[in-house]
Amino acid sequence: MVILEGKGITKEFGGLKAVSDVDFVLNKGEILGLIGPNGAGKTTIVNMISGTYAPTSGRIMYKGMDITGKKPYQIGRMGISRTYQIVKPFPGMTVKENVSVGAMFGAQGKNYSTKEAIEKAESILEFVGLQDMANHRADDLSVASRKRLEMAKALAMGPEVILFDEVMAGLNFSEIDKAVELIRKIRDEGISILVIEHVMRAIKGVSDRIFVLHHGAKIADGKPEEVLNNEQVVKAYLGRRYKELVR
Amino acid sequence: MARERGATTKTIILGVLMIAGIAIPFFSGNFIIRFFTNALMFAVLASAWNIIGGYTGYASFGNVVFLGVGAYVSAVLMEKGGVPFWIAFPASGVGAAVFAVLIGLPVLRLKGHYFAIATLGVAEAMKALVDNLEITEGNSGIYLPVMNLSVKAQYVFFYFMMLGVLVLTLGVTFVVLKKKLGYGLIAIREDEEAANSLGVNTTLFKVTSFALSGFFSGLAGSLYAYQQGFIKPESVFDVGVTVKMIVMAVFGGIGSLLGPLVGALSIEIISEVLTNYFLVAHTLFFGAIVILAIVFTPRGIMDILSGRRKFGLNYLLQNIRNHRV
Repeated sequence: MVILEGKGITKEFGGLKAVSDVDFVLNKGEILGLIGPNGAGKTTIVNMISGTYAPTSGRIMYKGMDITGKKPYQIGRMGISRTYQIVKPFPGMTVKENVSVGAMFGAQGKNYSTKEAIEKAESILEFVGLQDMANHRADDLSVASRKRLEMAKALAMGPEVILFDEVMAGLNFSEIDKAVELIRKIRDEGISILVIEHVMRAIKGVSDRIFVLHHGAKIADGKPEEVLNNEQVVKAYLGRRYKELVR
Repeated sequence: MARERGATTKTIILGVLMIAGIAIPFFSGNFIIRFFTNALMFAVLASAWNIIGGYTGYASFGNVVFLGVGAYVSAVLMEKGGVPFWIAFPASGVGAAVFAVLIGLPVLRLKGHYFAIATLGVAEAMKALVDNLEITEGNSGIYLPVMNLSVKAQYVFFYFMMLGVLVLTLGVTFVVLKKKLGYGLIAIREDEEAANSLGVNTTLFKVTSFALSGFFSGLAGSLYAYQQGFIKPESVFDVGVTVKMIVMAVFGGIGSLLGPLVGALSIEIISEVLTNYFLVAHTLFFGAIVILAIVFTPRGIMDILSGRRKFGLNYLLQNIRNHRV
């Protein structure tokens, strides 16, 4: 079943086409990988889905509703959460307070009192493994923990779809493995996930399907093995020596 | 442990202030009562500024406009409309809040310096407008009905009214901070884009914060006008008042509940003492004290009192390093 769908979405900044006429589909319970070189338009797509930018043309459908051009907070409350590539914690708040804000105002926020939202935040922190840092200020966290906090905030909103924008960038191998494990755990909760990532080892392992952007256009879409062997993808993004390196 | 010490210190400060607040008028002459009424007014203004500037992170440089609107709503209603004070007083708060909503909708779209300059402009524009309106009697100023009470009774009345407005301001702020509204406002201050994507209706929250700030300042304006008996645009729309409330909030501690109150009282007392000793040069010394305070304790007096970090030479040096002065 399709939960999120983009139909011919295009975004122009001045004369520059950052994303041109891209179709994509995210199925319920699926992990969809989005890859492509720097400047390919990956984050722009996330920004359009989450309402930061309105597409120049095209439509974005969520559970059969047209959400094109809605404000970020409206989209967040409808059940689509996101993380930021450059993490955006609330530095002066504690980790628990950070996550509480997500619980208070997210898709489930209306059902929670302030106290319940804080309890929800505690259970989310346990889920992502940040419970020991709950009462630290967010700017005391390490890079890996900050990425994890981003994920916790998105998760606390009680979403049906999460857009992860490079939550593994800057992490070491063992941290990446933990993050991959967490993403799988989140999918097992019934949440559909779009993952943007440059870390091939992670994206290959975690994605059910991958689609590839290059110069704002979609050049491939399919099972990870197929896509990563696609001639065009190798040329545009992975490089000729990728296969040797992977082996 | 540190947190506990902070909480105890806060309770002690609050207790002392409350007892002193109620006791002052019974043991003092008119001059002292009047002095503290004025200090309390600035405590209200600084605390109201703290809601938008401290908790929401939008440094308004035009908050005096709410004082002015509140003052003129009372003056016009009472003088031209014959409305009793007990109606004009809340109407001033509501009037200033409505004004905050109307101004906030366009102006709160701006950030940082742009917001500061725009609010400054709004205050100046209102001064010019009131200067030229017939109903406000223009730049010649407007008289308010005289109160039918003895001088001493008037002083005590205004003292307790101002104290009441201050308690209301701090009480409402305290409650807001415990609610979702408070979490939302602080989230906006920390990172507005992130707050928005977490589901915070940032426009609504910012405007609400501005309206609260306007409401309490408007109430203070109403009391100020009634006590003065005569107001002029250049006194109730004076930029200097905005600067003073910001300095007080910074001095006491931005984004802390009691900071602006502590700041307002200490600044009023310091400047009064300095005026006594140095009639001509007191502003010079006053300026020096403010600069030193901001350099060494940029988070305000409340940060020292909170006990979060140990006070000492290291504390001061660390502040300089952290804030790259």
